[in-house]
Parts: sequence; structure tokens; C-alpha cells
Amino acid sequence: MPFISQTERQSDYNLIPSSCPIVIDNGASYFRMGWAGESEPRIIFRNIVQRPRHKITGETVTIVGDHDPALLKYFDCTRSGPRSAFDNDVVFQFEIMEYVLDFAFDRLGADESPINHPILITECACNPVQSRSKMAELLFETYGVPSIAFGVDAAFSYKYNQKLGICDRNGLAICSGFSTSHVIPFINGEPVYEACCRTNVGGYHVTDYLKQLLSLKYPHHMARLTWEKVEDLKMEHCYITLDYASEVRLFQKGGKEAEEKTRCWQLPWTPTPVEEPPSEEEIARKAALREKHGQRLREMAEAKRCSKINELENELKGLEFLIQQLRHVNGNDIPSFLSETGYVSKQEIESAIVKVTQSLRKAKGEQDEIEEKQDPSGTEKYTLIDIPDNLLTPEQIKEKKRQLFLKTTSEGRQRAKQKRFEQELERERRNKEDEQRRLENPEVYMEQLRVKYKELSEKVDQRKKQKTNANNTTETNNGVGRGERLNAAQKERMRLLTTAAFDRGKGEDTFGIKDEDWQLYKKMSKDNDDEDDTPNEDEAELARIGSRLREIDPTFFPKTESAGTEPPRLRPLTQEDFQIVIGVERFRCPEILFRPNLVGIEQAGLDEMAGVSIQRLKSRVERLKEEEEEGITNSVLITGGSCLYNGMSQRLEDGIRMMRPCGTRIRILRASDAVLDTWRGAASFASTMHFSRQAFTKMDYYEKGEDWLRGYQLKYSF
Amino acid sequence: MEQEVIDSEMVLPTHLSFKKIQMYEKYPKGQARGRHWKHLKQIIQAENYQNYPADEPNYVNIESPPSMHPRKQICDITGYEAPYSDPRTHLRYANTEVFKVIRSLPNEYVQRYLALRNAAVVLK
Repeated sequence: MPFISQTERQSDYNLIPSSCPIVIDNGASYFRMGWAGESEPRIIFRNIVQRPRHKITGETVTIVGDHDPALLKYFDCTRSGPRSAFDNDVVFQFEIMEYVLDFAFDRLGADESPINHPILITECACNPVQSRSKMAELLFETYGVPSIAFGVDAAFSYKYNQKLGICDRNGLAICSGFSTSHVIPFINGEPVYEACCRTNVGGYHVTDYLKQLLSLKYPHHMARLTWEKVEDLKMEHCYITLDYASEVRLFQKGGKEAEEKTRCWQLPWTPTPVEEPPSEEEIARKAALREKHGQRLREMAEAKRCSKINELENELKGLEFLIQQLRHVNGNDIPSFLSETGYVSKQEIESAIVKVTQSLRKAKGEQDEIEEKQDPSGTEKYTLIDIPDNLLTPEQIKEKKRQLFLKTTSEGRQRAKQKRFEQELERERRNKEDEQRRLENPEVYMEQLRVKYKELSEKVDQRKKQKTNANNTTETNNGVGRGERLNAAQKERMRLLTTAAFDRGKGEDTFGIKDEDWQLYKKMSKDNDDEDDTPNEDEAELARIGSRLREIDPTFFPKTESAGTEPPRLRPLTQEDFQIVIGVERFRCPEILFRPNLVGIEQAGLDEMAGVSIQRLKSRVERLKEEEEEGITNSVLITGGSCLYNGMSQRLEDGIRMMRPCGTRIRILRASDAVLDTWRGAASFASTMHFSRQAFTKMDYYEKGEDWLRGYQLKYSF
Repeated sequence: MEQEVIDSEMVLPTHLSFKKIQMYEKYPKGQARGRHWKHLKQIIQAENYQNYPADEPNYVNIESPPSMHPRKQICDITGYEAPYSDPRTHLRYANTEVFKVIRSLPNEYVQRYLALRNAAVVLK
């Protein structure tokens, strides 16, 4: 990783003479500070400020730059993320800038007295004067610095590389930074701002693009894709292709070459313990357990039945004993005798005996016998039925009514039995028919059955679903609320109720003339639990076909209820689910430096910017010598953090060659250190006599005013 | 505050003796946090560049012009060359498989993909 924070507190601040300037490279991503004349900056940190709340004390603290993320656990960072003083490449938030400068001076070792060193600070090309003057005011008023000079970062980098002999007096500096990219032409060692150009795309956009693309591709791992991590991925894996179209076609086709170019980031992953299917033994054990439970339940039921029979037998004995005793008692004494037992008359006791014997029989499982036994005796029992009422005593009339009731019920029972018998016959007949058809053509028959089964089961399912849906709505708020969805039956009922409520006094009232009219009340009173006969029929038919299919088709499996209700089993997560694969993204993201329109920025890319700059040089700068224009592409320096991608030089060379006349010499030069050259150039500049001549004091500033500051420009050549 | 936090000196002290005006004097507590800082757009407006000669370089006129190169459109999802564009979602896509994907995308994701190239529907 090329960027490493360096925030050790320096101890030699007091040993440095006050004439030695402090050099600041105030980049949008990194802040670097050090002493003039030295080769390395002393302090380097990310140019960001966080103001989280301390979790225990609750006070808001200021944290500048990057720190050990482990220590951030003591702070509540949810309300304030990292903030930057920059908007694009212009400083606008001077409160944040002040925190940054505080931290930097503190780490440089400053103490007690105000900062008594001249300052050289970098800014962007053509910095708005407001930003420049605010910066000057901040440094003068708050830190008490004696004098300040402003310089452009790309120019310092170019000059430094010129000093190293890498680039010529005439050339182009292509500087791609954090939020912007600049192309600045140099003539005779001086930057020509009239011809420079800026595109608002830089490393920030590349990282952001990569971060967005990856988090859209892997929404589950969004939390892993922090800004810092994605920045690392970008620096390690991104590269620039010579030709985007052909490279991407390689990936589209797939194959070995694309595979080799694909990178994969394995997130920490531990396999989830695999659930083993239950073994034979386990199944057997469970079945045995179930069987045991069943046995116990059966035994309990049996015991209960026995005790019930016992109870009934005892009761019967008691009643019989009572009757026997009653025979010995006088007719007059009966009521007094019975008053203790709770019965009123002999008849009552007799009927109780009949009841008990019946239930005893039922308990013993002899139900059928009684009906049959009762049947033959039926005619004799109903002795009073045919006698007209006027010949009978009131008691006899009562008895007659009872007999009438008994007769009708027994007849009803008889009828039901008859019907059941007929149904049985019908079913047998159908089965026989089925069998015949099956024998005629087994395959067709089976197929038909299957189709029918499927249709029916779907129908039944649908009905069930409707029913449960309806129940759900009624269950949740007991009845149907406004705007609730009703099923058809409920709707009809509501319609009936409303028409009944509002249909008064409209014309002639004919209600009740037809018998069907009264059915209306039946419909009205029924609420959502109405079950038509059809689903039951369907269900019965379904069961019949299911059993039939089971008989003749060994491959048939009826749909079980539990399968539907059980939640779908999730696929166990594998190692592949925790991989972040970066293929096309590796070159798609840096491609935005050359084609900013991919991220919606409608400006020329780096290669085109070089052309624009040369064009502007020709049109805006007078007295430009021919050879100066020719030679400018002979020394194209690329610098800045976003120029570190592999393939950058090649791509730029190709791009510039396309725009320049045939035969033009093009040399793309890499800066000796694309990231630190700016600071080094500034430090070496500050150590010369030129610096003190061009720096301005607080007095100068307030005398000459803002308008002068607008025109202030550093001369880099000496 | 925890010992390891103090040891790392990550928290900026509120009082720094080398400063002439302390932070708490400049931005007293209780008052609306800080001042409103003009954003770049407002700064540029206040610069009144129109009052200065057009050939003098300034922050606005050094911006690059729109690209003159023929623009190639790439698939929003895969990055492949995209000959097609979905009229419903306005996403660009490379082939039928990607088309299936974009039709199954929830609207939120569609908007995020569009936002990547600044083409999302912005409701104000």
C-alpha cells in the first residue's frame, strides 16, 4: 500500500531555526507536512475529521485522520462520519481545516509560542480567491505565522521531476488526484494556466464506483465493503486497459485468459455443521417411541372405558334395586320414599334404566344390536299412535306424543341406513366399473386417474386457501372491517343485509309470498363458516382416487399436507457465497478517468484533456514557438495517486498519439514518486531564496487586499 | 476516557498552546454549530468571474469541455458493451441473460444502477 499514515509526534521542533519554512501539501485525500529542505514529510495522515461522541462520558471529541479502527469502539460514530474540508479540490470548510492544522502542528511538535515559521501550502490550480484568503486569514490570525506562500501541487511535482532530469522545460503535467484531474502545460519551466484544463474525476470517483458496483453485486456483503477496504482493492487490483472493448469481450467470451485476470477475495467463512440425515437406528428408535406412546394412550383409553362400564353397571344395579324395593312400597308412600333418591315417579326410574342400559351397551360396543333389536318390537311399542286424541287421558296423550317421536326417529334412522346401504352398493358398482376399465386399458386408465387426481387436489387446495384467507381476515379483527377483502359468500351476505336494511317501503311488499323468500334469512344468518357440499364431495372423491392410485400405481405418492406448510429448506451457504469476485470491475472502474461519462460526468477524459490543453496553448498563448508546441508531448509527466494504475502510460500514449500529427514524438514519463513528489518539490522550493521573496506577510495581505491575492502567483523557476 | 485511547493520542486536545485563538473561543458552544460555510457553487458565484477578462484563467474556465470522442455505452450490470437499452428501466444491457437479470431487479436496485451514471430519477 503506497499510502501510510505517519503521525508520530516530532521532538525536534524547538531545534529548527524559525527561518526554516514549514511545507504543507494539502491534498484532498492526504495531508502532508514537513520541513523545507528535507526529503521526506514528517507528518502524513488522511485529510479527514470525525467528531464522534465518547460512549461513556458523552462528550463530543475530535479525531483527525485515520486511527486504529479497534479504538473507535469507545466512540459512537453513528451520527457523524468522516468529513473533509474539501468540496471538489477547493477548501471550503475552514472549521474542519482548522482541526486538521491543529492536529498537524501538534504532531510536528509545536508548543507554547505561536507558529514562528513561514508556511508554504499547496492549493489547486486557479483556486478561488475566497478560499485562498480564508486560508491565509486562518494561518495568520489563529496560528500567528509570519508569512505564507501558495503553490500548485502539480507544478511542484513537475518542477521536482524536472530537477531530477525526468522531464524537460517544456512539457505537460497530467496530474490525477483524489477528486479532480488536471493537465497543465509547462513552457520554459513555468506552468501556463491559460492552457490548463480540469476534469472533475479522480481517485474518489474510482473507489466510489467500485464500491457501488461491488455492493450492488454482493448486497449481502455490503458491510464488508468499507471505503478503506475498497480503496485497498482498487490499489491492488485495478488496472487500465489499452482497449476497453477488446478486454471486455475477453471476459464476455470467458475462457482461460479471463479467468486468469479475475481476482477473488475470500471473506472469512466457516462451514456450517452439516446436518446428517437420521440413521436407521434413529428412525427405528423414534418409531418405537411413538409406538410406546400409542400403546400407553390405548391402555389409558381402555382403562377409562372399563371404569365407565363399571360405573354404569353399578348405577344400573342401584336402579334395579330401587325398582325392586319400590314393588314392596305402598302406592301412597312412593313420593315420600322416592324423595330421598331424587326421582319423582316409577316411570322416571324406568326411563333412567333404559338410558343407562343403552349407554352401557354403547360403552361395550354393542351399538348395532339395539337398533336391530328394537326394530321388530317397533310395531308393538307404538300402541297409542292410531288412537285419536279425544279417546285418551292427558297422560296417554303425553305418552302418545312420546311414541310418535320415537317412531319418527326410528324411521329416520331406518331410512338413513337404507341410504347408506344403497350408497355402498353404488360404490361397489363403480369400483367394479373402474376395475373393468382398468383391465381394458391399464395405462390410459392410470393416466386419467392421475390427471383427475391432480385437478381435484388443485381444486381442493384452492378452496382451502380461500377459506383460510377468509378466516384470517375475520380472525384478526373479529368480523369484517371496512375495506377488507371479502370472499364471494360474504359479499353476497353483505348485499342481502344492506338490501334488507334499505328496501323498506319501496313499492308493494311481496316478501313471503313465495316460499323461497324465507330462505333469505337462512343465508343472512350464516356467516363465513358456511361450507358447501361440493368441497366435501371433492375431498371424498380425491381420497377415493388417491387410495385407488395407491393400490394400482407403485410410483404414486399422495401430496402430504406437511410438505406444503414446512418452510422451503435453505441451501446451505458455501465457500463461494463468501467470495467477492472482481473481474471486469478491475478495469471498468479506472476506465472512468478516460471516459468520465460512464459515471455521468460529461467532460473529456485524461487523454482528450491533453489534446484540449495543447489546443488551448495554441489559441490562447501568443508568441508560442513552433518547436515549443512540438516538443511539449516529448515530456508528458504523469503524477498524482490516480496515475499509479498499471497500463496508464501505454493508454495515455495511444490516446495522445491519436490526436497529434503523425510522427510527433511522444514520451510519457512516470513521476519518480507520484504521491510524494509534490511535497518534495515544495520542500526543495521552500529551501531556496525564491521562497522568501515570494511569500507574503500579514502586513502585505491587509495592505494589498483580496484583489492582489487574486492575482498572486508563485514563480517556480529560478 | 480509556487508557489505550489516551495512549494513542487520537483525540485532539481542546486547548493548544501554540494557537492564538482557541477553537472554543471561535466557535462557542451552544451557538449554532460553527458557521455556514459557502459551498463551492456559492464560492464560484461570489467570485464574479464575469467581471474579469475571459482569457484570464479562473476556476471555472479551466474546466474541460465535454468529450468529443464517440461515446460507447456499456452494460450497467456487467460492464460489457451494451447494444440494447431497456425501455422500462432505462438500463443498458449486453445480452438476454443480463436482460433477465434487470427485469428481476427490484426498483431500488435499478435506481442505484442508474444513479451510478447520474441517470436516476430524482424526486424533489
